[in-house]
Amino acid sequence: MNKEITCTALVQEKLDLLKQNTNNTVNALLDTMALDLAAKVDAKIANGEPIGLLEGIPFGIKDVYMVQGTYTTASSELLKNYKSAYTATAIQKLLDAGAIPLVKENCDSFGHGSSSENTIFGAVKNAINPDLVGGGSSGGSAVNVAKDYTVFSIGGDTGGSVRQPAGYNNVYGLKPTYGRISRYGLMAYASSTDCVGPIAKSIEDIRIVLNVMSGKDIKDQTSYASAEITQDAILTSDSIKTVGYFKNFIESDAIDAEVKSDFLATIENIKAKGIEVKALDFFESETLVSTYYTLAMAETASNLSRLDGTNYGNRIEADNLKETYAVTRSENFSEETKRRIVGGNQVLSQGFSDEIYLKGLALRDSIANNFENDFNEVDIIISPVTPSTPPKIGDSLKDPHAMYLSDAYTVGFSLGQLPTLTVPQGTATGLQITAAKNNDELVLKFANFLKDTI
Amino acid sequence: MSKIMTVDVLSSIKGAQPSEAVNKLFEVIKNANTTNNNTFNHHNNAVSLNDLRDDVVIDSSATEKQIIIENFPKEKNGYLVVSKVIEE
Repeated sequence: MNKEITCTALVQEKLDLLKQNTNNTVNALLDTMALDLAAKVDAKIANGEPIGLLEGIPFGIKDVYMVQGTYTTASSELLKNYKSAYTATAIQKLLDAGAIPLVKENCDSFGHGSSSENTIFGAVKNAINPDLVGGGSSGGSAVNVAKDYTVFSIGGDTGGSVRQPAGYNNVYGLKPTYGRISRYGLMAYASSTDCVGPIAKSIEDIRIVLNVMSGKDIKDQTSYASAEITQDAILTSDSIKTVGYFKNFIESDAIDAEVKSDFLATIENIKAKGIEVKALDFFESETLVSTYYTLAMAETASNLSRLDGTNYGNRIEADNLKETYAVTRSENFSEETKRRIVGGNQVLSQGFSDEIYLKGLALRDSIANNFENDFNEVDIIISPVTPSTPPKIGDSLKDPHAMYLSDAYTVGFSLGQLPTLTVPQGTATGLQITAAKNNDELVLKFANFLKDTI
Repeated sequence: MSKIMTVDVLSSIKGAQPSEAVNKLFEVIKNANTTNNNTFNHHNNAVSLNDLRDDVVIDSSATEKQIIIENFPKEKNGYLVVSKVIEE
């Protein structure tokens, strides 16, 4: 490391940028903690002690992760004064590696949204054009990385919440294989697809941060042990012979003409490198979106049922216990959060559950089977990230159903629990690279190949 | 149980109604063809029983306990106050 700038000066510079920023990316600055940690790194350097790869690197945290003693609001009225009692495993691993947390980042409340407009802290503005949305739900995180306010940020991806804002702001964003990173301390939205995901400006940064956060954690029984992905392992892509894409994604009426032509041009570039490209059959966008939202709403209705103002949160007293619950939840949840909770309770209620919830699970199973068969045919699947470019701020909230449909290209990979990376190339909102479960390494390999190819 | 509960009661959200946007999603599911009707085949997401964590109580740190108390919404004379429960 060159010593031209101290860690303290670097951290202070980033804190100043975050404080002054007009993109609404900040829910809370962690300035005292960050400057204390930076002083320790400077002392180590001054003493000639060796420092690790992430030591002194400033990063951001979506405001749905617990960091002991900091406010964790989920951008909601209900938790606007809630303080984390403990620290999420993924964040603790970064702290242990010496990374310095600067900021709790704005996002859609409880991850409910695709634009980062569903927040009490004001809509996140896109890094490239501030009239447009920052994407969501991890919008603040993607914008901070794009604007160089943080070196990397940790978002959360349930149905595309890391990949879509990464695409909207032209940075890298990874949803790892489900379970590769512990969810302990990530506020639960839909537990069966919730993933911790890094956002950064390079594949190398994604690799380093992913390695640090990965691993089995007894506090999350769905987490699993994985091998480190080495720098050398992802340099060559000789093992990738066949790439697939879903032809119905591209033939859909909903896709923007330019996104379509750019995507097809990318396919031609890949073919020109001698890689075989196969057009694959897949489920209709409507089926994917409906399956995802049906299951996610059922899970979020259950996960958020604990938020009743009894032990924590902004309790609003009423005549009795049940009234207190109802008033607290009615006044403190956003319209979108209420819509999803009510939808989830519909799904799970008697008379509906067989017809909708169980059928949703069966569809998810078929989707997963489809992926399994596809990965017998191809090594990698590529896809656009979104059908269109980012909407103007204010437009998405008018039509929730249209917002759900805008997630058509991201939700399938979530249901399959597959590793998927957004790269800022190929279309105006990037490309998604997906491999079979547990094959995160292959995704990064192909990203390196694309970086040099297109 | 024959008592019918409406979604506002189930959700503890006053005046909640099913939304049109969400009902459209459900319609798609109802009309979808599933190739398998066996919901729980090999893609289930259950955790293996062979790899559970030790069944031991781990005490929280003093800081953690202190923050949990700080987060409690209402306190009176050193007691944490909860809402009055009325038996139905």
